[in-house]
Amino acid sequence: MAASTASVPVPAARPGGGLRGVRLWYVLLALAGLLGVVAWIYELQHGLAATGMRDVVSWGMYIFTFAFFIGLSAGGLIMASSAEVFGIADLKPLARLGVLSAAACVTVAAIMILPDLGRPDRILNIFIHPNWTSPLIWDILIISVYFTFSVVDLVVLQRHESEPSRLRKAIRVLAYVGLPTAVLLHSVTAWIFGLQIARTWWNTALMAPLFVVSAILSGTGLVTLLALAAQRWGGFALSAPTRRWLRGFIAIALIVDLFFVGCEYVTVLWGNVPADRSALDLVLPGGAYAWTFWAEWMLGGVVPLAFLLAPRLRRVPGSLGLAAFLAIAGVYAFRIELVVIGFINPLTQFPPGNAIGTYNPATSSFELVGRYSPTWVEYSIILGLFALFGAIMTVGYRRLFTPSAAGHPDLGRAVPGAAPSVSREPGGGATSPSPASDEQ
Amino acid sequence: MTSASAGGTPHHVMVIDTNRCVGCWTCAVACKEINNEPLGFWWNRILTTAPNESTTAAPPASDNIDVPHGVYPDLELAYLPVACQHCNDAPCVKVCPVQATFRRDDGTVLIDYERCIGCRYCMAACPYGVRIFNWGDAEYAPGGIVGYGRDYRTADGRLVFTAERPKGVVEKCTFCVELIDTGQEPFCVQTCPIGARVFGDLDDPGSEVSLLVNEGGAVQLHPELGTDPNVYYVPVRRRVARET
Repeated sequence: MAASTASVPVPAARPGGGLRGVRLWYVLLALAGLLGVVAWIYELQHGLAATGMRDVVSWGMYIFTFAFFIGLSAGGLIMASSAEVFGIADLKPLARLGVLSAAACVTVAAIMILPDLGRPDRILNIFIHPNWTSPLIWDILIISVYFTFSVVDLVVLQRHESEPSRLRKAIRVLAYVGLPTAVLLHSVTAWIFGLQIARTWWNTALMAPLFVVSAILSGTGLVTLLALAAQRWGGFALSAPTRRWLRGFIAIALIVDLFFVGCEYVTVLWGNVPADRSALDLVLPGGAYAWTFWAEWMLGGVVPLAFLLAPRLRRVPGSLGLAAFLAIAGVYAFRIELVVIGFINPLTQFPPGNAIGTYNPATSSFELVGRYSPTWVEYSIILGLFALFGAIMTVGYRRLFTPSAAGHPDLGRAVPGAAPSVSREPGGGATSPSPASDEQ
Repeated sequence: MTSASAGGTPHHVMVIDTNRCVGCWTCAVACKEINNEPLGFWWNRILTTAPNESTTAAPPASDNIDVPHGVYPDLELAYLPVACQHCNDAPCVKVCPVQATFRRDDGTVLIDYERCIGCRYCMAACPYGVRIFNWGDAEYAPGGIVGYGRDYRTADGRLVFTAERPKGVVEKCTFCVELIDTGQEPFCVQTCPIGARVFGDLDDPGSEVSLLVNEGGAVQLHPELGTDPNVYYVPVRRRVARET
């Protein structure tokens, strides 16, 4: 935006574009949020019949987007903790941004469960009659812990900004606790699927490691995108060494992620067990869900890797942002594939299959192979929740990264534009258009 | 039928003789009637299979029912009625976050309609695909509702059947808990025109189900999963040496 006016800005003198831009952004977010609320009210009236889910594919967009957001939340703790535990000083500037995104992602993920429930009015039963053998209960527990942890970490990091010396030890302790907590969060979410003996597509010990690495991948990607956005619109300074670290993190996580997925494929292909093969055949080229294969391996795999690693491509402006976005999209495709194929792959090969639970005179009440396509209700609610994430991030960012927090109370915090970081990190960012052009 | 009066809780077991089943769907329709199942709901369904075929291993002969496996003249056809298997180690009971689905001492797995939060984790966990969710308002064919038409609660007061389906909860076969608690047989057993279904107490060594399970070679579905169902199937007995 108008950020390229690099001189020390005077708020009153700035053109109104920045502020108007933020207002427009808030209006868009509010509209999307409103759409989500309207869709949810519609769903509450009509029941989950308003969704595309039925008895054969009984989990859909809410659950795979939930798993996706849980994964996205990894970035923050990874940034903040790696900076401390492994002493990567270049990642420290991303700590607060990352932890903020972690808290936002976990909040959105937790809310996402509500529209998936048939009886959200009975949600308190989870606390009144918890069943401790249920991975869902473990997940609710670890999500609560992770959320609390993120908020505490954010508060401590924020305090540390204003009085650096006092909280060093607390930050270190939090960093060491943060990593295992994050690993546990993604493992438990993986176990919701991975422990189920009924679905061979899910029932693999690799599920937890796969979730952890894909969470690191998408979470780091998200922090990258947020930092780039903050640099463009919020005056955040993203230094070249920090970019290099992000590049490396995403590339390594992506390679390990593809390696794990590849291990699954080899195991299924070599073993050739019919129930496993029928699931994989849906994913492999030629199958009904082959687009998830291409999204994971090409669009979210080879292409971002090329933009991260190939010497010529990585110098293309915007390569890091593009690679981060594609990698995240690939992880989302993986979540879709995991959940939907798990259900579509038939539990029984024999006709008529399973009842679907609703009556349509034009088609059978049974399905041998499941079908799923989300309805406008699901898309709208998900869009609303994405908007909620955007709103939390925007408000949170503007609150945390105010000039006053950086020790410049004179600038006030009405300015959404580029100003604060200029004074906070003179060398890093806003020396006019250069950061945008050299290696974005 | 042994009831609790016989001293101790009976171990309720159903045995289905696949030698006898003709795939007429009487049990499935009777089940729909007695349990007031709305349109599109099938607690019980009859799979078209080849004799003694694993439900996951062989490809289907057709997408439609009643199509035999094989090529003429070597055709094979058998039926496998599948409803809730009432597992002793039930995955649905393990995953339910609120203990809404539970196993009674007699081996019957039931759902508390008043506690279920509708998360459908049980449907993801069930290897037999027998659970039905109330997606929207229940629809019925013209002519209305027959069947129990009233609520039924277990001894400890849990609502395990109601004719007026609450939107947003999961349901499934109850072993006709309303009938078996008064010493009657489940409705599918009563209505099977060929007598392919037997219901009884596995703890009673003289009962017909005990004989079929212990000596008749009755087997469980997916024994490899360790769910230990209380529904057993008597395999199809082949004639020896069809050729030569």
